[in-house]
Amino acid sequence: MTRQVVTDVTSRAQYSAKMAASMLRLAGSVGRRVIGRVAKGAQPLSRCWSTQAATQAILNVPETKVTTLKNGLRVASEDSGLSTCTVGLWIDAGSRYENEKNNGTAHFLEHMAFKGTKKRSQLDLELEIENMGAHLNAYTSREQTVYYAKAFSKDLPRAVEILADIIQNSTLGEAEIERERGVILREMQEVETNLQEVVFDYLHATAYHNTALGRTILGPTENIKSINRNDLVEYITTHYKGPRIVLAAAGGVSHDQLRDLAEYHFGKLPSIYEGESLLPCSFTGSEIRVRDDKMPLAHIAISVEAVGWSHSDTIPLMVANTLIGNWDRSFGGGVNLSSKLAQITCHGNLCHSFQSFNTCYTDTGLWGLYMVCEPNTVEDMMHFVQREWIRLCTNVTESEVARAKNLLKTNMLLQLDGSTPICEDIGRQMLCYNRRLPLPELEARIDLIDAQTIREVCTKYIYDKSPAIAAVGPIGQLPDYDRIRSGMYWLRQ
Amino acid sequence: MAGNMARSRAWLEIQRYGLPAYRRYSSGGCYPSIPLTAPLPGVPKPVFARVDGQEKFETKVTTLDSGLRVASQNKFGQFCTIGLLINSGSRHETKHLSGISHFLEKLAFSSTAQFGSKDEILLTLEKHGGICDCQTSRDTTMYAVSADAKGLDTVVSLLAEVVLQPRLSDEELEMTRMAVRFELEDLNMRPDPEPLLTEMIHAAAYRDNTIGLPRFCPIENIDKIDQKTLHAYMHNYYTPGRMVLAGVGIEHDQLLECAKKYLQGVEPVWVSGKPRSVDRSISQYTGGIIKVEKDMSDVSLGPTPIPELTHIMIGLESCSFLEDDFIPFAVLNMMMGGGGSFSAGGPGKGMFTRLYLNVLNRHHWMYNATSYHHSYEDTGLLCIHASADPRQVREMVEIITREFTLMAGSVGEVELERAKTQLKSMLMMNLESRPVIFEDVGRQVLATGTRKLPHELCNLISNIKASDIKRVATKMLRNKPAVAALGDLSELPDYDQIQTALTSKDGRLPRSYRLFR
Repeated sequence: MTRQVVTDVTSRAQYSAKMAASMLRLAGSVGRRVIGRVAKGAQPLSRCWSTQAATQAILNVPETKVTTLKNGLRVASEDSGLSTCTVGLWIDAGSRYENEKNNGTAHFLEHMAFKGTKKRSQLDLELEIENMGAHLNAYTSREQTVYYAKAFSKDLPRAVEILADIIQNSTLGEAEIERERGVILREMQEVETNLQEVVFDYLHATAYHNTALGRTILGPTENIKSINRNDLVEYITTHYKGPRIVLAAAGGVSHDQLRDLAEYHFGKLPSIYEGESLLPCSFTGSEIRVRDDKMPLAHIAISVEAVGWSHSDTIPLMVANTLIGNWDRSFGGGVNLSSKLAQITCHGNLCHSFQSFNTCYTDTGLWGLYMVCEPNTVEDMMHFVQREWIRLCTNVTESEVARAKNLLKTNMLLQLDGSTPICEDIGRQMLCYNRRLPLPELEARIDLIDAQTIREVCTKYIYDKSPAIAAVGPIGQLPDYDRIRSGMYWLRQ
Repeated sequence: MAGNMARSRAWLEIQRYGLPAYRRYSSGGCYPSIPLTAPLPGVPKPVFARVDGQEKFETKVTTLDSGLRVASQNKFGQFCTIGLLINSGSRHETKHLSGISHFLEKLAFSSTAQFGSKDEILLTLEKHGGICDCQTSRDTTMYAVSADAKGLDTVVSLLAEVVLQPRLSDEELEMTRMAVRFELEDLNMRPDPEPLLTEMIHAAAYRDNTIGLPRFCPIENIDKIDQKTLHAYMHNYYTPGRMVLAGVGIEHDQLLECAKKYLQGVEPVWVSGKPRSVDRSISQYTGGIIKVEKDMSDVSLGPTPIPELTHIMIGLESCSFLEDDFIPFAVLNMMMGGGGSFSAGGPGKGMFTRLYLNVLNRHHWMYNATSYHHSYEDTGLLCIHASADPRQVREMVEIITREFTLMAGSVGEVELERAKTQLKSMLMMNLESRPVIFEDVGRQVLATGTRKLPHELCNLISNIKASDIKRVATKMLRNKPAVAALGDLSELPDYDQIQTALTSKDGRLPRSYRLFR
């Protein structure tokens, strides 16, 4: 699971494609980490933000073409002429659409998608994909469910046909459902060993308690044991409707061909969708502490309520997020010197790593910081984190902001490297914005920000606000909630 | 770095004694409140590029008088990745302190003659939307920058500075020592033992020579490495004849021009003159075993326990990436495949590779079985990593040795075709990414002076027959194995037994009769 500056969807990836076995071996020793921050999610591709004339910006990227089918399904693609491609379905459905009783259904369904259809048995499907050198993948987040395939461009028609088959004709056999329970329970164990995931689940649980966003994606054990075929069928019939689905593709794909394929394979999906209203999920400043002094390190997340995907303040918050930055002690003193917090933690040896995050949902979001500390540095670390936050609201400088803007642009642009990240970007933006934000516009929106914007926007969401906190491990030093709360403002001097 | 520390300290002081914490509650900001769902008015209309058919692959290489090679590859797009690759890595540290490359990796892009600090370098790059990184492996060091192609000139001059004029100040070295220490600590704490096992199997396979030398700085050397030792090393290995300037997404002529301007006839910061002792040893495959007894019963960092596992890795010498047999070995590696027993990918992850079909699907108590192929200019290592409960180590070893002996048996048409297709698709999918192309261009030109293009490699892969696999596997199995074992090793068979199993027909361990179990 990656939590990136921009594409933070807080997803549970069921299948993480194993690309470690890079064919780079053809050229030498194993290239596990590729250059740059590649491994961490940001790297370069053809892109530009050269706003040339005042009226036109010449881009070195292909256009994202969009077509809407009669049933409301949107088809969006970018053709870069490669011999491989990524194509997938981005569906406006995730664990947020569940209730207490059926929490976990969206994720369960994602698991069932690869278990066979009326046309293909599970074995047929697996063999077909493997034999064509393709990859099939899926993940569920709180608001989105994604199924995608990577394949040779020549196999695009087959990839679309397979995607259509697995989401429309899945058998959902009783025997397979029973078997999958065990798999999901084991996945749950796996998730529990990943402390970052554990802490973020706690953070959601406390920040959005008693609401749909507070629940986990996997659902509680008793649900995993009880979800049945009916629940799954009902979830599909309620949510998998034309207007809530985007078929996105990037790499070597012709839009016309993709549109025809979509028409053929998805044309029969129902278009009626009684615009079920999404219940608001209110944020509560609160905390969850799970103290365990036997653990070597404390894992803490602290966050305030930010805004949803499409809110205009999202971009300034992303700049603020970049400004706080992230750091890992094995980086050494460099790499992220643009972050003052990194300088402080590095020189004071205050933590093992920290990561600023801005997780967006439709109408709300979490803006905060995740840190991993030795038990005896928790208090100091917390102090400096809060001081940096207040500084954002009070006296952040023009030069820092300028730098963060630049870094944000760079990260956003360099991240779009390869057909999968581009396809991901298209799919997500189509769901969140109902369009693909043209790069010049994104650039313009970033350019409009100055130190005053940051101070104002941060004041609006951070200053004197009650944070949500989740902490696991040897956290005896973590100040009590009231003290942390009082660190969210400064007394006038 | 010194400057940075001073600056941040001053900054801390300011903070400690407080700055006027005025609050501005006016909200007369000029930031437009237009949601991202609606276009921002007044933004220039984008004119998009169009792809003219398939990406054209052509790698151009020019060698300068100094011996420096300049290689470039065009690519659609505005950004470029440019870097210097140096034929230098831990394998070259024989006559130097082990860990030097590890230090150089961490010290990369620190202060130079021209730039006062790493921060200045980053700021310069940020002007061109750039980021930088350095990576060292056993045989190669790569300094690379990804940036807007318009910044080419700046990027190349910066790379020349970083590689040839590093200050390596005391403060920077101190920070590096700390970072290296932390990294070693993390390496031992991480539940994933793969990096450690890879280090161990190399040490076992090439005992005390070349790629068997430690890739991570040994803890006792951390305090011994200083500016002098680093400069002495760079003097020997950071020479034009051992370097390639590679670029992807730029015009060859422009890159060549910059190379001449910034890398030709430049005196490096260390004493120039003829390198004194360049290690040109060819790797000597020795085989052997490296065991690390370690309590793995509580590797979990959290409250949820991770089951105690013992890890083994068994490897045999394959071949160098310069030999023709490299391709059959790559196909064989793909055919073996494998991975974790749980949650490691959907269809496409190699579900029908032998390590899944024959091992993980049949023996549910095994946690992992994965094939790896490491390849270098003079040798290669095909190995399988497996892990299971400590009590089942003997059984696990036998399962793996049997898989090795089966490699020389018959190869099915279907599995071969599948492995070939998957190898081609993995190659092409990886090469979607610019930094990967950069690394591919750089490494190939560094090793051979030219680049085999992706479609040429695909053709070579297509031509592989079952007999090729059988031939290379048979040859490989004649050699002594390299073994690495980590964890509770009470049930680990002797090295001799493993060797016997690998040379037997069925890969079985010799029966050992024990009175007391």
